[in-house]
Amino acid sequence: MNDADLSSLLPLAVVAPIVGAVAAPLLARWSGRAALAVSLLALGCASGVLVLVAPTVLGGTVLVEEVGGWRPVGGSQLGVTFAADALGLVFALLCAVVGGLLLLFTFSDLADLGRRETGGYACLFQLLLAALIGSALTADLLNLFVWFEVAALASYGLTGFFLERPYAVEAAFKIMVLTNMAAFYVFVAVALVYAGQGALNFGQVRASMPHALGSADLVALALVVAGFGTKAGLVPFHGWLADAHTAAPGPVSALFSGLMVNLGLLGLLRVVFDLYDARPGAVLVLLGVLGSLAAIGGAALALVQDDLKRLLAYDTVSQMGVLVIALSVASDESLTGLVYHLVDHALFKSLLFLCAGAIVHATGMTKLSEMGGLARHRRVLTIAFVVGALSIAGVPPLNGYVSLGLIHESTEHGHLALFVVLTLAQVLTVAALARATYLAFFRRRDDDYDRFERPRVGMVVAFLSLSAGCVAFGVAPTWVLDHVAGPAAASLTESGAYAAATLRGHGTLTAVHVPFPYLDPVRLLVSGGTVVVGLLLAWWAVRHEGRSARALRPLVALHTGSVNDYAAFAVLGAVVAVVVLAAT
Amino acid sequence: MTRPDERELVSREPVHRLWVGAVLALGLGAGLLLAVLDLPDDTAPLPSIARRAMVEALPAFRTTEPVSAVVYGFRAMDTFGETFLLLAAVVSVGLLSRTREPRHGFIGEEKAGAEEQSRSDPQEQETAQQREARAGERVEAGEGDSPATPDDEPVGTPAPERAHAMTVVTRLAVRLALPLLAVAGLYLVTQGYSPGGGFPAGAVVLGVVLLVHAAFGYPAVRPLVRPGRTEAVELAGAMAIVLLLTLGLPLAGSFAASWVPLAPEQSLRSGGLLQVFSLAELVEVASGLTLTVFALMGMQHDWAADPEDES
Amino acid sequence: MIYVNYAVAGVVFSLGVFTVLTRRNLVKIVMGLSLMEGSIYVLVISTAYRRGSTAPVLLTPPHGFGERALARGNVADPVLQNIALTAVIIGVAVTAVLLAAVVRVAQHYRTLDADDVRELRG
Repeated sequence: MNDADLSSLLPLAVVAPIVGAVAAPLLARWSGRAALAVSLLALGCASGVLVLVAPTVLGGTVLVEEVGGWRPVGGSQLGVTFAADALGLVFALLCAVVGGLLLLFTFSDLADLGRRETGGYACLFQLLLAALIGSALTADLLNLFVWFEVAALASYGLTGFFLERPYAVEAAFKIMVLTNMAAFYVFVAVALVYAGQGALNFGQVRASMPHALGSADLVALALVVAGFGTKAGLVPFHGWLADAHTAAPGPVSALFSGLMVNLGLLGLLRVVFDLYDARPGAVLVLLGVLGSLAAIGGAALALVQDDLKRLLAYDTVSQMGVLVIALSVASDESLTGLVYHLVDHALFKSLLFLCAGAIVHATGMTKLSEMGGLARHRRVLTIAFVVGALSIAGVPPLNGYVSLGLIHESTEHGHLALFVVLTLAQVLTVAALARATYLAFFRRRDDDYDRFERPRVGMVVAFLSLSAGCVAFGVAPTWVLDHVAGPAAASLTESGAYAAATLRGHGTLTAVHVPFPYLDPVRLLVSGGTVVVGLLLAWWAVRHEGRSARALRPLVALHTGSVNDYAAFAVLGAVVAVVVLAAT
Repeated sequence: MTRPDERELVSREPVHRLWVGAVLALGLGAGLLLAVLDLPDDTAPLPSIARRAMVEALPAFRTTEPVSAVVYGFRAMDTFGETFLLLAAVVSVGLLSRTREPRHGFIGEEKAGAEEQSRSDPQEQETAQQREARAGERVEAGEGDSPATPDDEPVGTPAPERAHAMTVVTRLAVRLALPLLAVAGLYLVTQGYSPGGGFPAGAVVLGVVLLVHAAFGYPAVRPLVRPGRTEAVELAGAMAIVLLLTLGLPLAGSFAASWVPLAPEQSLRSGGLLQVFSLAELVEVASGLTLTVFALMGMQHDWAADPEDES
Repeated sequence: MIYVNYAVAGVVFSLGVFTVLTRRNLVKIVMGLSLMEGSIYVLVISTAYRRGSTAPVLLTPPHGFGERALARGNVADPVLQNIALTAVIIGVAVTAVLLAAVVRVAQHYRTLDADDVRELRG
């Protein structure tokens, strides 16, 4: 199949989950299994299309499809362009495959729900996945916004799914208000870019950006940082994240943390690198500062949480901070590490949230202080959770070691402050996860659980697949670096070539080659050191529960839970971004 | 010195950190204005892509309406996303307003939810606001018989709020206005070569349904808006849109390509794909919005147990 | 440049943000979001305007405009109308979902005050 045929298949990767979404509510009325089969088939088709184009795209070709056949004329593109570069493809394939596993988990864990609500759930889940795949493959600014909005609306319904929990409706309201404001920011930014540049295609926008950016362009960039930053859970905009993850069903939290926050990050990457070419320099500094706040703040808050899913949600905030720090360093190494960590985070975070969701659904318990002794009752669950926790901790041979190692390595020379921040964040993360693992699984619990159902087949398959993924991405780093992360980082380091390809209709990128010395003594020292210090901190936190809570009380008090306050923080972040970018 | 009841009338609405909010809102507005004043002014030429839309609308689609050509033709992928945005909203509202279904097995979330509800239920005295809310719910639940129309009740009774339908004047006026509105809606969608299209036509159809509901009461629209049927219609519309656009791939080489044969302009079938897409959009938008409105109105109080009900 | 339009858009946007940030009544917060959305419509349509132009319709151009003038582009911007249509649909969809959530919150918490709907905090 030649490139033109392959690229014309790209929209099908978005259409397949949409067909599944439309068919699911109709089929769910008859039988849940039929709905599951059609949904898995739809995601399988999407994965199939993406796997079909993978060899070409990961080899460096950018497959461009002008949807509808409307080609650019004289350097101006009216129609919507879909461009599959390695970054978009990796993200889309991740969504399709992990999304399929999450759906399988849903249908087996939540099989005892009513028919109509299962149908609605499957519909929204697949619409969200379709929107994520669409945003990864699109090369048009308005289209990116449309898929962002589809994902947002699907997430609203999924957050408030369990209506019997008052937390769910409260969290649904908060996520709606905050994500909606973010959508307005992005929308105004798109309108400003179009009004200023007269273009919506990525390549055309980049080509028409003046060398000296005007206020309209700078404010648009600031609003994009605010809008996509909200979706990504970046620090002043993260108010919705903890609440939404606490209240949503387990697989939905896994979807949000593993895949949906990446939509915000992808939007940031596309706009900052492909449209604005990392200009002005202040945007990278701003993102570095916000990322540092997120990395440390999120991990610190995770240490003092009692609710397991809330703990994992704050850890997502922290990991997003780490990813944004890697973005702000903007070197070959850090961007490769960013892509690698994005994939790893999707795998281990989904795994952890699926475990937490299984615990809530099977026992009704959400608080760590009430759990304990799960290692004795449920081996598979324990193994899955421990694998996830070790991955985050960055222990070789699991995947976290490589990705975190790359990011740490990229900050060692010239960004020492960021290196310190990353190490501190890692220590806090290890401590938080270790405390959670101990309290939930290994602590002695004298009373037996009243009701505790065994994991079903679909759940076990999902646990094992994700754990296997964590291990696989850890033991074959060279293969991943050469064939996955390296080509993907090229879209960011050679952003000009990518943008030109989206306008011209074809293009090639050369992969970034970043070696990772697996047994480098510095890496091993950092990894081992953070794990040891983290474990000590965890031991101290478990022994002196009250003292750690008191130490972090100001930070905890900032998260008042009031939607006005969270919105105020988000607006403050937007105003700061506007001032920093437009005033310098 | 104000009397007690007057003081309640002029009581301040609760606000939350007024000055912080004012400063932040002004800051954001100022930033927006700063950006907007920097934009090219109205003597600047049209962007090249807008000019291309004007030039190519007629030859590419035989339509004299470039906005429709942009919405349903050149940038059909955006509208495709919009359709499913609306579908996601409709399904979300459906999920949020659903009635309780029987579930089998132990659902951990129910246990967790019951704990959270008991934790959050106020232990202290019932406030005036809560008493009002409970009274309002009792009225909504329709205690007692409601008359069919207010004309059946003697003058002076509080009938008009509780009647199913409205007075004879309203009903006659609606009967006269309905055909005009319905035709206007159909006109919007069929005469695609003048400004119109599926979205506004869908909104007009929704308006017609709501007008019938308001004037004649729920029994008059119940056969039309049965949730199961309307949902099936909406999903069928969505599927039709997917099919229409996907057929572009084998028939014309690209997804969302124009494969429907074109007819002379300013005729009913002019516009090819635009017209058909617009019609399918009408079906989807009208049924989706109807479903949303009636789901919102039909929300029951079956998820949150009221301690008063249990006693 | 129609300065009044832009000023109105900016003021209404600020009012919307102010409402979301300071009003504790949940329904008012939803209305604040609607205000923000309305200001965006005004903003988008105002940027589409060109001085001395007509509507982007190719049907019977008004006096003083030939078909050639329309093709040359003496019309308001049609692509921005697509963008505005997008905004309208989003507004409708989001307001509906927000109101459904407000009703459910009112049923569970028996209050519409955002300060009382704060069980998830910290």
